[in-house]
Amino acid sequence: MKPVRRMSQAELAAFVQSHLKARGITAILSGGACVSIHSEGRYTSVDIDLVNAYSVNRGAIEAAMQEIGFTEQARHFVHPDTPYIVEFPPGPLSVGAEPVRQIQELAFSTGSLELLSPTDCVKDRLAAYYHWDDQQCLAQAVLVAQAKDADIKEIARWSRAEGMMGKFRLIRARLTPAGQ
Amino acid sequence: MFLFTRKEGYAREIARFFATDLDPIQKQLDKLELGGVLVSRMAGRTRLYTFNPRYPFLRELQSLLERGLSFYPPKQRESLVMVRRRPRRRGKPL
Repeated sequence: MKPVRRMSQAELAAFVQSHLKARGITAILSGGACVSIHSEGRYTSVDIDLVNAYSVNRGAIEAAMQEIGFTEQARHFVHPDTPYIVEFPPGPLSVGAEPVRQIQELAFSTGSLELLSPTDCVKDRLAAYYHWDDQQCLAQAVLVAQAKDADIKEIARWSRAEGMMGKFRLIRARLTPAGQ
Repeated sequence: MFLFTRKEGYAREIARFFATDLDPIQKQLDKLELGGVLVSRMAGRTRLYTFNPRYPFLRELQSLLERGLSFYPPKQRESLVMVRRRPRRRGKPL
């Protein structure tokens, strides 16, 4: 097994997630790390947000993380050999008011990694833009949508369900590769 | 209920409104934030809490709170709801 200090963000996320899975804990990668993976490194973040999909007891997560050398500091976990920090945002796994129905799976030498699909990753970032006008998250949504085949029709449907069709219309062209 | 009606608030303000101690209010706000129900931001030196617009059960929770509010004594409901929200220039006499 590759040592933690040499693991990339995605490899570390896969390592942690696989370890938790073996302990019966489902934690799905979301947030900035998903953007980093789907945008093929055009965005970087030190956060690894693993959504505690089924609200497993915090003590069980802490015990499992300690087994692989992580310690808890102010609600996140750190490891002496890596700059990446691991957080467990509360479940359920959702984008806005809707549950996430399809999880993508990627394989790494350190384990398999379950994460939001590019389409759900775009929705996740757009939710922060829609509700808080967060321009950084809009830029991240654009990066993912342009790098991967995000389903723009599905994003439009979801935006309508969130009551955000007006805002979606303003940014729709930016989500397509050729700005169409 | 305070955050539902006022849209945002801070721990001391909520404790003062319900004439209770600060500590249990702060603990509940922490728990609700950890659970994803609330989010917070700093305004100067004050931590302001609001409902998390990305909380997946927000609509259902707000419907429940709306229903609960309708059973409040009229005076208490009024003191929660009837609060000045529009701006007021600094120094303007009340």
